[in-house]
Amino acid sequence: MSVEELCQAVETGDQKKSKLLAQKLMDEGTDPLKIISSLIKVMGKIGDKFSRLEIFLPEMMMSGEAMSEVVQILSPHLKRKGAGQPKGRVILGTVKGDLHDIGKNIVKLMLESNFFEVKDLGVDVDSTDFIKEAETMGADIIGASSLMSTTLPHQKEIIDILKELGLRGKYKVVIGGAPTTQEWADDIGADLYCPDAGSAPKLIINLLKTTLKKASMEEMER
Amino acid sequence: MSNPYRLWEIQQRSNTGPFCDENDFLPKIFVPKLKEVIKKYEIKYDPKNPVPADDDLADRLWQAGWELFREVGLYNTDTHRIIKVSDEEIKEALYTASDRYWVGSGKDAVLWKHRQVEDTEPPFCIFSPDCTCSEELHYSMCLAFLKEPLLDGFCAPILEDSMGLKILSASPFEINGSTQHIYNLRLAAKQVGRPGVFLVAVGTAEHDSGQIAVSNNEWGVRTSDSRIIGTLTEFKTADTLFNRVVHCHQYGCYVGNLTGPIYGGWCGGSEGVAVVLVAYSLNGLCIYGANYNQHFPFHLNWVSNTTRELLWPIAVAGQAMARNSKLLYTSNGFANAGPMTEMLFYETACHALVSTVTSWHLWEMASARNKFRNRATPLEARIGMEVGHAVARQGMTREQANEITLKLLDKYESRAADAPMGVEYQECYDVATALPTQEHFDMYRRVKDELAEMGIEFPY
Ligand code: B12
Repeated sequence: MSVEELCQAVETGDQKKSKLLAQKLMDEGTDPLKIISSLIKVMGKIGDKFSRLEIFLPEMMMSGEAMSEVVQILSPHLKRKGAGQPKGRVILGTVKGDLHDIGKNIVKLMLESNFFEVKDLGVDVDSTDFIKEAETMGADIIGASSLMSTTLPHQKEIIDILKELGLRGKYKVVIGGAPTTQEWADDIGADLYCPDAGSAPKLIINLLKTTLKKASMEEMER
Repeated sequence: MSNPYRLWEIQQRSNTGPFCDENDFLPKIFVPKLKEVIKKYEIKYDPKNPVPADDDLADRLWQAGWELFREVGLYNTDTHRIIKVSDEEIKEALYTASDRYWVGSGKDAVLWKHRQVEDTEPPFCIFSPDCTCSEELHYSMCLAFLKEPLLDGFCAPILEDSMGLKILSASPFEINGSTQHIYNLRLAAKQVGRPGVFLVAVGTAEHDSGQIAVSNNEWGVRTSDSRIIGTLTEFKTADTLFNRVVHCHQYGCYVGNLTGPIYGGWCGGSEGVAVVLVAYSLNGLCIYGANYNQHFPFHLNWVSNTTRELLWPIAVAGQAMARNSKLLYTSNGFANAGPMTEMLFYETACHALVSTVTSWHLWEMASARNKFRNRATPLEARIGMEVGHAVARQGMTREQANEITLKLLDKYESRAADAPMGVEYQECYDVATALPTQEHFDMYRRVKDELAEMGIEFPY
């Protein structure tokens, strides 16, 4: 009975075993933070394997689900320790007029398995719905996927409407999808462009960190 | 004759089929069943032989695809219900399907027929750059493609703007762009002397409204032309797609079912892609009433299908469908490399070779990972179609095809991940005359000579 065994169960996507082992570890009084930090490493490994297609989407999905089960068992213990906050809250969707969702779904999986809380609005999502849902969720990030030249303008539209509503500073807007580029992100004033799902969690964490740093520097200056 | 299979009985199942949460459909229904049939029918990928010659494997694959389709059904993301089709219905649809269609009109009409494995009839050749393009290049690209002698059908590039205005999907700008798209096509077809040529149009219409707006036998998409209607990867559809299905059948044009099973995605590996290709063909026939299926399986990271893990499923699925049905299906090439690179020519040649020998019709060629504007030309498609005609005419066997495929793979497979992206159309074609530059043509000729040395007997 060890954290290693649990990691292995998560890696192989064995939900039942993962749940059982997590519960036992909790009963034995193992530090939930220690478990989480091991699991982050496991998920990183799985993500890397998937990036190289040594494993495929269904396997990554199973590991992701096994991990969610574990997190559910751990979360009351984490809360008691004042930890266990998600790394960020994300509203995710494919923009209006666009039905392509494969990339977006992979991003969702990657973020969730890296301890982000994600609300997926699906495809063909109106720009105002991204914003309304972000308001309701208290999101940190709006993630918009677009796969077509004819729907890219909606990524800009989200940012424009945020500005007009005076909400631009409240959310980080992250964009992706095959036709998007850093250049396009700069043009429309997006906070971040991610070339693929694998890099998304790290890039978003960095973005949130630099924002926090900036904010605290400003605070200090004041 | 074309008879959309029990159109309204099937449509109604969007409202009466079993309910399922969308998040559960793929992981809980599709994936386990797919894994089960791969095991049950002993489907095993063999990287050493990208073109297997195993009839029994082909027949088992057919069974596996059939069972997957029957058991899983197609999920409607608008109604959250699963459309299911019974064994008896699949049999009836297959029995009543036609194995040939006259497409195009007047002197340009062509008879498009079901092919067999190692068939000596050349494949039906649909040229398509599968890319978007700038407004000022659209007409020239239409001309350049329609000038191609082996072209049986054409699917033009997608306009990004019209009258200088960016096209927005599902908006009035899209209807405007769709109109411009078909007018460009009609004029180009007339100017090259092929006014009735078979068109698959219009790609600029990404929404159903754009498609419906350009159905017109005088100036628009004719009833002798075709539309392709997507199935959402994997095994899903939506009402906007059914709007097109119903419109096309009532209008009376041909329907192709567009599917892109993903290697590395929900299908898993090569075995899964192969099974799903077969299942999608039944789905196209039974649920969209499609006259043909247009398949572009692709690699999750590379958006290409010219490496062996994708060639193998193409090869076995073709054999499965040829031996067990009289359906029509096109193999849509997706290359890693971009225009005016030798790699793109090799990739296209290889994709066309494998597809033709295993019974497919050809739809060539998306290049540069199908990602960049203006980055495709008729010349790579030409080499593919020429290879298709040559290997059919010479009666190439699967064993011979396998050998040449391995040689071709040797030339480019290791560069799949960092392939050269090449140049844009206007950099390797003369925009005014719509002809390739000398440098581009010479490269094509060089590769063609090399292919001839490998044993492909081009008639010219
Ligand atoms: C598969 C595919 C389809 C499938 C989609 C199935 C589905 N459920 O999504 C089907 C067959 C249904 C389809 C339909 C259509 N398609 Co399509 N399709 C593609 C294709 C080949 C691959 C897309 C894909 O899934 N790639 C694999 C995934 C994993 O990659 P990805 O999406 O880029 O995502 C990765 C990153 O970009 C990033 N990412 C993505 N989103 C986000 C978001 C955030 C926040 C972050 C951080 C990161 C991120 O992470 C992902 C993982 O690494 C593309 C070509 C291409 N090169 O992209 C054309 C393409 C997008 N399609 C195109 C077209 C035209 C269509 C159709 C209109 C065809 C038709 N005539 O009906 C319809 C569109 C209907 C509509 N209104 O949406 C065109 C769009 C042209 C344009 N105007 O720009 C393209 C570009 C092909 C082309 N070159 O012409 N298509």
